[in-house]
Amino acid sequence: MNKITAYKCNNCGQIMYPHHFRCLSCYGRDFEEINPEGKAKLITYTVVNELPWGIDERGRVLGVVKFDNNVKALGVINVDKPKIGMKLIAGWEPVRVIGGQKVYGLSFSKA
Amino acid sequence: MDMELEATLRPPEYPMEPYPAKVITLATGGKMVVRQVDRDVVPILLEAVRPAMEVERDYYDIVAARLYAELLGWSRYRVKDEFCIIGQIDGLLVGIVNSRMYSPILGISLHTLAIERGLRIGAHLFAAKMEHHIEYLGQEEVLITAESPIGFRRWMIEYGLEKRDGQHELGGATPFALTRELYFNNKERLVAGERPVPAKLMEVAEREIKVASEDDILEKILGAKRRKIQ
Amino acid sequence: MRPVVVSGVGMIPFERRDEDSLVDMMAMAGLRAMDDAGLGDRPVDSVYVGNMASGLFNHQVSVASALVDRLSLMPAAADRVENGPASGGSAVKNGFLAVASGFNDVVLVIGGEKMREVIGPRATDIVACMTHPLAEYIYGVTLPAMAGMFTRLYMEKYGVTRKHLTEVAVKNQENGLLNPYAHIQMKITMEGTLTHPQAHVNNPVVADPIHLYDCCPVSDGAAAVLLTTEEIAKELSKPSVYIAGVGQATDTHTLQERSDPTELKAVQIASQKAFEMAELTPQDIDVAELHDAFTILEIAESEQAGFFPLGEGGKAVDAGETRIGGSLPINPSGGLKARGHPVGATGVAQVVELVWQLRNEAGEHQVEDASKGFSLNFGGFGNNVLAFVLRREG
Repeated sequence: MNKITAYKCNNCGQIMYPHHFRCLSCYGRDFEEINPEGKAKLITYTVVNELPWGIDERGRVLGVVKFDNNVKALGVINVDKPKIGMKLIAGWEPVRVIGGQKVYGLSFSKA
Repeated sequence: MDMELEATLRPPEYPMEPYPAKVITLATGGKMVVRQVDRDVVPILLEAVRPAMEVERDYYDIVAARLYAELLGWSRYRVKDEFCIIGQIDGLLVGIVNSRMYSPILGISLHTLAIERGLRIGAHLFAAKMEHHIEYLGQEEVLITAESPIGFRRWMIEYGLEKRDGQHELGGATPFALTRELYFNNKERLVAGERPVPAKLMEVAEREIKVASEDDILEKILGAKRRKIQ
Repeated sequence: MRPVVVSGVGMIPFERRDEDSLVDMMAMAGLRAMDDAGLGDRPVDSVYVGNMASGLFNHQVSVASALVDRLSLMPAAADRVENGPASGGSAVKNGFLAVASGFNDVVLVIGGEKMREVIGPRATDIVACMTHPLAEYIYGVTLPAMAGMFTRLYMEKYGVTRKHLTEVAVKNQENGLLNPYAHIQMKITMEGTLTHPQAHVNNPVVADPIHLYDCCPVSDGAAAVLLTTEEIAKELSKPSVYIAGVGQATDTHTLQERSDPTELKAVQIASQKAFEMAELTPQDIDVAELHDAFTILEIAESEQAGFFPLGEGGKAVDAGETRIGGSLPINPSGGLKARGHPVGATGVAQVVELVWQLRNEAGEHQVEDASKGFSLNFGGFGNNVLAFVLRREG
């Protein structure tokens, strides 16, 4: 797997990520699995210096993005000078080591 | 004392540029004067270090015991090329750091003892120590180790120090190195201080190194005593 | 529902408490509340313990059962209540319901947490466990990082500045100096933490734009309240303080799925419900204890709970309205910023503080003539919030 799985409600079209058993809007239970598509707009970000146990790299930038198809997600932002509203493209890279295993997740770089 | 014998026991010392004093504005708005001191004040410093030798918490006891030995040794010419920098607020001693030159290009960081907590005094004085090694003594690299996990986090992770092979002279611990490059990359973020120290502040600092009582020192290190609550 | 009185309150000073175990701290706080109420040998029907992560911080679970034993309260019923940093608030709510419903007459609620048993980065990681495991946690999101992302948006939308945030920190630390139970007993200045050209060395970035002095400390501590019926409360000499309103609401787990990430919907709804139940409005409140785990939250909550219009909370701090002596004193105790934040204890400590204020027992940090108080306990990053309105009889 090299992307996240998002969900589109077959009843009302609500886009959701992460998974919910019932639609956030209409409480329906029938979803289409979709992938985020297109570019991602940066909604907000932060630069983390105080790290949790298990992460050693100071200055990691984390941000929330909204893809062209309305999927919203959080990921690592690999951009030197992030700005709210900038357009990014999604990648997939190891974001953390948990229990000795690399865990992959979303990363974003300049479009 | 047989001065001839004493002279052979004292190794030759490297010439050391003096550290120019600076003043740091702390989070409380208070001003800490950071200045290098000479051997003559060691007896006063030892008074401040001694109480901490009883405090197990955060490895104060080991740091204090070793610092005590290093300062005493330095004052009696049995530690080579050591220097000592202290922090004072209104004359009151709030922290001591010491280090030595292994060679003209390599420094060995010894200890950092903060007597006032919660104000990043230890962090400020450690940074001053590194400033002296790199900027005024002109060294290339300083080897550092940490007895306490707090120290490790503050220095190894904050500065991104590079691990080195071999043993640090403090108990053979793993040495980590601060290079000139690492120092200058982190300087703006981690090294504070303004020069020159305003004359009035300097005068107070130089006039007397005030040492808090043993009770006060223990209270500062262990946390504020709780007021009477009925 | 029957009226519920807070008959007794107590807490231990919040700080780093290496010598005391979690259950011991909770027992000490519990005894103080029982003694404050003059309970004597009268039995307690039920105990609710608010605690977030004893299993992770202290390698101990079922701490409510352990606590009952430590205080010899058997055969009282006992439950541990977990709601992240709102565990204390949830425990108070559960205790309230037990008395209000008629199910119990005397209920002891204790909140406690012992976070300093682990080192800093581990505590940060344990707290981060409340984030979404796949969509947030794996990226190394911490609570300060959530606050950082939220603050950036709030600054953009409402023009909140670092000066506003620092004013909250300065005010709360000043208040902490007047509160013998507060963890942080240290004054800070705008110069040392913000305006001096080298202030950033004292006050480094934790998660941009959140700095060190925007964050509450990591603390150990416990607080307790004894809830009873009116009749039992009348047997004591202290003025009765009622829990007049309780509200709770939730929001999406992840920050990204909030319909507007600057809106704290759960704060709005929980507050509205509490005010409705108490038949009061924000304007009736004399003193508030808000959840300032991060300085931005005091400002945001003061708006979203209805005390100031959206975007005006920063101005209110600037104008001194939220100081002791201002039009709406917020966090006279020092708040989470200075009183400290042993997570499970906070929600209960907020109620303890309000009771002291409403009984005129707050000593040096007393708000004059306080008869109605409000507290807000913020769980997760705003996805599970409790609000309480307290009023003194008469």
